[in-house]
Amino acid sequence: MQNNTRHFAAIGVLVVIFTFVVFWILDAVLKFPLAASTQAGPIDSLIQGHLWIIAFLFSLVVVIAIYSLFLFRRREGDTEEGQYIHGNTTLEILWTALPMVVVIAFGYWSTVVLVDITQRPDNEIIVNAEGYQWGWNFSLPNSDAVTQELVLPVDTPIRMDLTSKDVLHNFWVPEFRVKQDIVPGRTTYLRFTPTIEGEYRLICSELCGLNHTGMIAPVRVVSQDEFAAFWNQDVQTASSK
Amino acid sequence: MSLFSLGLVRAIVGQILGMLTGMATTMLIRVMLGLPAWAAEPSWTVGAIFSIIGALWAVGALSDWAKWMKGEETPMHHGPPEGKPAWTRYFGVDYNHKVIGVQYTVWGIFLLLVGGTMALIFRTELAESGRQFLSLELYNNFIGMHGFIMIFAILLGIGGMANYLVPLMLGAEDMAFPRLNALGFWFNVPGSLLLLSSLFIGGWDAGWTAYPPLSARGPIGYQLFFLGVFAVGLSSIVGSLNLLVTILQMRPKGMSLFKMPIFCWAVFATSLIQLTATQLIGLSFLMVSTQRALGMGFFDPGLPGATLMTGLGDPILFQHLFWFYSHPAVYIFILPGLGIISELLPVFSRKPLFGYKWIALSSLAIAIVGFLVWGHHMFVSGYAPVLRYAFMYSSLLVAVPTGVKFFSWLGTLWGGKLTFETPMLFVLGAISVFLIGGLSGPILGTVPSDLPLHDTYFVVGHFHATMFGGFVFPFFAALYFWFPKVTGRMYNETLGKIHFAIMTPAFWVQTLGQMGVGVMGMRRRIADYDPTLGGGSIEAWQLSITIAGFLIGFGVLLMLWNFFQSAEVGVLAGDNPWRSRSPEWQIPSPIPEHSFASPMVVHGEPYDYGLPEPYVAFAAAGDD
Ligand code: HEM
Ligand SMILES: [Cu+2]
Ligand SMILES: [Cu+2]
Repeated sequence: MQNNTRHFAAIGVLVVIFTFVVFWILDAVLKFPLAASTQAGPIDSLIQGHLWIIAFLFSLVVVIAIYSLFLFRRREGDTEEGQYIHGNTTLEILWTALPMVVVIAFGYWSTVVLVDITQRPDNEIIVNAEGYQWGWNFSLPNSDAVTQELVLPVDTPIRMDLTSKDVLHNFWVPEFRVKQDIVPGRTTYLRFTPTIEGEYRLICSELCGLNHTGMIAPVRVVSQDEFAAFWNQDVQTASSK
Repeated sequence: MSLFSLGLVRAIVGQILGMLTGMATTMLIRVMLGLPAWAAEPSWTVGAIFSIIGALWAVGALSDWAKWMKGEETPMHHGPPEGKPAWTRYFGVDYNHKVIGVQYTVWGIFLLLVGGTMALIFRTELAESGRQFLSLELYNNFIGMHGFIMIFAILLGIGGMANYLVPLMLGAEDMAFPRLNALGFWFNVPGSLLLLSSLFIGGWDAGWTAYPPLSARGPIGYQLFFLGVFAVGLSSIVGSLNLLVTILQMRPKGMSLFKMPIFCWAVFATSLIQLTATQLIGLSFLMVSTQRALGMGFFDPGLPGATLMTGLGDPILFQHLFWFYSHPAVYIFILPGLGIISELLPVFSRKPLFGYKWIALSSLAIAIVGFLVWGHHMFVSGYAPVLRYAFMYSSLLVAVPTGVKFFSWLGTLWGGKLTFETPMLFVLGAISVFLIGGLSGPILGTVPSDLPLHDTYFVVGHFHATMFGGFVFPFFAALYFWFPKVTGRMYNETLGKIHFAIMTPAFWVQTLGQMGVGVMGMRRRIADYDPTLGGGSIEAWQLSITIAGFLIGFGVLLMLWNFFQSAEVGVLAGDNPWRSRSPEWQIPSPIPEHSFASPMVVHGEPYDYGLPEPYVAFAAAGDD
């Protein structure tokens, strides 16, 4: 028992060190794109939380396993069997209950975030997007103009009303994080608020046939004035061509 | 000896003849109805149905039942077929579970190679950005085909392990229903041949999930694919029924459920899922099939181009039906593998399995909770928003019994006397890989973090890690471990270790790479990607993933070469090279036709390494 205490202390230290190392590796490998919507903030924090837990649990299991491999490897000439231990009910209950607490905590955190990012703001504007094999049409509710470029005003809550002409598609701009399937025969909705002006890409993320790979449309987040100007003029000329 | 005396050849010929008969029947009916004789869709569909029956009939998997209907006796034949070389029994209908187990395993490995080859083809395409040699059409066909061939391979692999091992571990002469067992295997042959041949009539392009409306519109290949899945599904159903009855009814005296080898618990839990969930994938594909062939618009939202009954269907309904099987299915794939891990760890640790009952019950818990979480594949599908919360919590709960297994495995290692032969190495590799697979689950299970990850390569990385950790690594461990029991000879240990040393790091690179490119923003199922993702670092990752894929493939070939060689020239292994307490190691290797010369009596516990009393003993001949 005395011995075990020493080993557990060593394992504890190693797990802490490992957790940081693993987190650092995960952080280096998992490079998220720019966060360019208000939704991205809480989502990215939740993901960071997940990554810390992943790093910790991964380290916990791997450190104990590797430690055991060294400590309990059969030495040359040793013919004895292992220690006769059948189990330990306290431990089993502990490692059922603790993970339960952790996952429920994450469930709660996620619930709060999900409510937050799907909430309906007062001043949202509606933009229609229609997916088809293989491209996109965009329009505003009270206008006949249709464009193939999605232009959005910065810092304004957007509700995308999504429809499909044919099969399933999916609306996703990686920098905004959120995505939503588009289902023929009904309208689905997606809310987000772009926060950084710039150019992005809308990519269809639901396999939709031959040229799913190429079902991409340019997205431009512009100032609110520019947005108004675009829909009043640019589009009129574009669609009257 | 004529070629036709091989059952496999007869099955293939029977399948082709069945296909032709089905087509002819369709044409006849159409002519009688005054329609043009040839119509591709109904002809191929009816042909495919007939082809399954034709194959089963020709190979002889149905003949005993046919004889019973005529009132004839069919005494059980033991041993190789008369007047033919002994090896031919592996190519025909045989009722011995050990033969059937080998048939399942070999057919599974064959499919693993076919599916793996497809993966390497499209991995080569993805090795650098830009489109190189695969047409978009072929690309889409290959990803779906790879997925489903691998699912078949896994189902066959677990069928092989279960059929070979369960009766031996229970000291039973055979499975409860040997004829059903043979039928169960032979369903897979026409099933997988239909799936493969769908490539030649246009294939199918909607990925393994085959969501309508896309799957309701594509080429005719879909029909062969659906019916192939149907046949293999029937195999799952009859096979699992057989295993459940065997486990419940054929245990020897003194072996209560909690005294079975733990692998039997895993098979029990898996079989429960297979018996009750498989119908749903059969149903969902059948509904798409009839929507295509008969205009039943189950999933048809009613858009221009639809013909009959437009606007009555719902594409999302399909996703519910599909995932109601396909989520539990992932536990079908992994539970037997986790059982193998629990089975082998005590042998190489020389120590009882830590928390036997907890491990056994966690399999059941996973099986049951697994039925409540299918909606986590549909967080962005557009279903009622409240469902997102419900499926989020249920999905998170699955992590708990999975965790119990990990900690119990650590408890088994602790205080052991560990040795590191190839099977043990693969078990340890499995634990490490399944760990990252399992840990990448909850981040997909909470909705906000799933939104950026859904339908990206992150998901691809997640499920490859779970499948490799939960099936491929344990399956390979099992192949190495029981190879001496099946053949009587030892595999080459050095080659086995080289295989492990190549495959494990390669897989790590592959799965982490997939998760990485997914996070950068690469979607699933695309033939080309944006080279600027991840600040341009995506290209290096893609190349690494492809190289890793080839290394894994090389490792698998090395293993097979090892097995072929060692079956001929390996050193004789003796009856119990691993000093295991399990029943199958207490009888000769290779196992004689009748496994147990005398009845098995249970004395102790399966994993009491360190106690002198054996788990089982055999009543001496003539003794009672
Ligand atoms: C810790 C428990 C796990 C959780 C919470 C979990 C959660 C999830 C979630 C939420 C998805 C959907 C991701 C998406 O499409 O956005 C998913 C996908 C998947 N998971 Fe898991 N998972 C777990 C363990 C497993 C295990 C053990 C397997 C077994 C093989 C598995 C196999 C799969 C497969 C095959 C898919 C992809 C299906 C597809 O869309 O093609 N998962 N998982
Ligand atoms: Cu698409
Ligand atoms: Cu799932």
